Amino acid sequence: MATPPSKRQKREEYRRNLQNQYQAHQSPNVEVAEIKMPQKRFFRQRAHANPFSDHHLEYPISPAHMDWSSHYPAFLDPDTSKTNLAGARKLLKDVEVVDIGCGFGGLLVGLAPLLPETLMVGMEIRTSVLEYVTSRIHALRMQQQKLKSAAAGTGTTTQDSDNAAEQPALEDEVGNTTAVVPGNYENISGIRANTMKFLPNFFDHQQLSKIFVCFPDPHFKARKHKARIVSESLNAEYAYVLRPGGLMYTITDVEEYHYWVLRHFEYQSEEEKAKGGVKDLWERLTDEELAADPCVHVMSVETEESKKVSRNNGNKYVAVFRRKADPEWST
Amino acid sequence: MANFQHPFQCLNYTKQQSSSSAGFLIASAGRRLYSYAAANGQCLDVWPKTVQSSSESASEDQVPAEKRRKLSTAPDDQNEESKEKPSTKKAPGNQLPEWTNIPILLTSSDGKHVVAVTADDKCIRVFSLSEDGKLDEISSRTMPKRPSALALTPDGQTILCADKFGDAYSLPLIPGEYIAPAEEAKTFKPAATNLTVHSQRNLQTLKNQITQFEREAQKAASKDGNTDENVASGFEHQLILGHVSLLTDLIAVSLPTDAPVNRNYILTADRDEHIRVSRGLPHSHVIEKYCLGHTSFINKLCVPSWAPQYLISGGGDDFLLLWKWYEGKALQKVTLEGLSQESEISVRGIWAVSVEQPAGSPVQAILVGLEGSSTLLCYTIEEETLKHQDTIQLSGNILDLTGLDSRGSIVVSVDNIRESGSTGAWKSGLEAPQTLLEYFQVTTGQGSLKWNSAGDPLAANINAAGTSAIATDVDDKQKKALDGVLYSGGVLRKKQFGEYQ
Repeated sequence: MATPPSKRQKREEYRRNLQNQYQAHQSPNVEVAEIKMPQKRFFRQRAHANPFSDHHLEYPISPAHMDWSSHYPAFLDPDTSKTNLAGARKLLKDVEVVDIGCGFGGLLVGLAPLLPETLMVGMEIRTSVLEYVTSRIHALRMQQQKLKSAAAGTGTTTQDSDNAAEQPALEDEVGNTTAVVPGNYENISGIRANTMKFLPNFFDHQQLSKIFVCFPDPHFKARKHKARIVSESLNAEYAYVLRPGGLMYTITDVEEYHYWVLRHFEYQSEEEKAKGGVKDLWERLTDEELAADPCVHVMSVETEESKKVSRNNGNKYVAVFRRKADPEWST
Repeated sequence: MANFQHPFQCLNYTKQQSSSSAGFLIASAGRRLYSYAAANGQCLDVWPKTVQSSSESASEDQVPAEKRRKLSTAPDDQNEESKEKPSTKKAPGNQLPEWTNIPILLTSSDGKHVVAVTADDKCIRVFSLSEDGKLDEISSRTMPKRPSALALTPDGQTILCADKFGDAYSLPLIPGEYIAPAEEAKTFKPAATNLTVHSQRNLQTLKNQITQFEREAQKAASKDGNTDENVASGFEHQLILGHVSLLTDLIAVSLPTDAPVNRNYILTADRDEHIRVSRGLPHSHVIEKYCLGHTSFINKLCVPSWAPQYLISGGGDDFLLLWKWYEGKALQKVTLEGLSQESEISVRGIWAVSVEQPAGSPVQAILVGLEGSSTLLCYTIEEETLKHQDTIQLSGNILDLTGLDSRGSIVVSVDNIRESGSTGAWKSGLEAPQTLLEYFQVTTGQGSLKWNSAGDPLAANINAAGTSAIATDVDDKQKKALDGVLYSGGVLRKKQFGEYQ
């Protein structure tokens, strides 16, 4: 008697088909509507990963060994003789924005048209989820290509940057875009990484302008607090990769975690301030500054988690911190 | 039949400026600290004093116990817990200390203090070293996690301690009076609410959590006892930096600059191939550079005091790296060739020595030893490169070494128990006296330098006197535990596990 295929089998089959579809998409006869977004249900994975485990991670020896060329083909340096220490081709610009724990990539997709000339990368520790992000970005890029060629064919251009900026991601329920957006999603990508251990392997001193930490794993138990993505020692590492003036965005639906974040970026008392520490390097943005920053809006509504929180009538707590300059060496 | 003697795990030569003596050799073997006169190897003091080396017979006390989480330091702390679990260690009449080895040992630059870590109780102990070589314990502080490396800041007033949890702490060398911060009354408020967890199981867990806490609060109120389990409370210590990885080494460096004041740095190495260059206290949160280039764990960092611009690092790779560390720049990759037959090698130690010789300037050399290897490599730093000079053959595996600065020589501690080249195979027979220390004298000529084995009363007397004996009836499991104490480098290597193991 035939039993229904197991979940794993279904997933494998689905992903195999997806690969085949990618091949087919290259053909010019395929219509935009035929390019389907990947379905999340085939990529779900338990929402927790042990950040202390070795896993099977691939990471570059140093930022100079990182191969970004396959991630941003549209930004490749035309000069093929320029290569980095690992022999990979160089890009015209460096990655500047990082979404730590990007999940299904909602934030990246939301930010892509907003900062079309900025390279952004999502980092996610869960393999299947990252696979989804990669498929999603691929599908989006293919759709954009089709739309662009269609627009060029009819002679009318839908690439109106003002228009697109007002509606950052013209997505319907399944995530299909119906218009050409600035940047054509060529500026976003995802990589599998454990940022708690290997952030400095990917990014150089003061390379980044923005870091996003959206709805991080709250690790409710006190025993697990060391696994939290925000801590005094990790904040020193974020300060290392962020340039002075760069911003650290945080959002959570857990009130206690919000205070945890504030506690780890801001001094809580004058005594503490007199002692000094990593909090010297950070200052919190005011509410006016937050209101003026479109990234805050995207972060609060576009990510999958923020949509889920809205559905459940949960609260969202936002805090953004600016990286201050390093203190002077005493002489 | 004679017993095996505990080999010297750590060696440290120190000289007090004010004193006219030739200095002291401080060493740890088994669970004891020894102080010897560097002039003739005469034993000046043994710590702890209560233990008489010959009367020790119980074999079970010779081996490290399983990892123990909690240990009380105060002798009168015989509370309920120890009644519940009668400890074999505290059998009446057998006043053995609670640790089995002393893996970390350092001396202050003025030679007046010795800092040691006793392994099993995670305790940092500070001793004063008197002018006649007596050790006097002045403080013992139990750290929250097992320390993996210690350093003293350039001013010599602060201990920096890196632990296996990835955190580094600073604590004053001489603890002052400590006022514990007023503890806030614990009011439980679960971090999760029904706004953040939704599934039935999570909601049930949350409910259980609340009832559980209420029960505990009632219990605590009726007992009115202190339930705080934090062993590290009660002395001043501050978190200065942290890695999300096991810290393997930490050093404090003072770098001369054009400015009138030296710049202080802290260098930390971890199991995940990072070397982090942070500023010294109080700005240890400012990360200046990363030195990235290793492909396996890092075990040892060495910045010679006579060439503070260079860093030599080594670990699970079959090469060393020479760095201009404050620029994060690798200068040279030095392949460790022809040393070990085994494919997996691990650097045990990198020592920078500067020893005087009768004619000419002092000899400055870098010595490198591998885990479970009886050869010792000697390099000099010339024009931003490490140049191989000499290979020293020892009678057993290298454990530690120290330079006897004013005598143009080094003393090397060798493993007298295991076969050369092995970290687990015990020798079948005994030679008497066992060789615990070897003495080498430097000679220079035509731009090269050589180390020649020399007989010296220092090594001869210490070898003759021996340390404490290991019982003859140790079984294989206990042997293995003893091996693990001395050779722990290999466990840092990443295993090719499956994805979620």
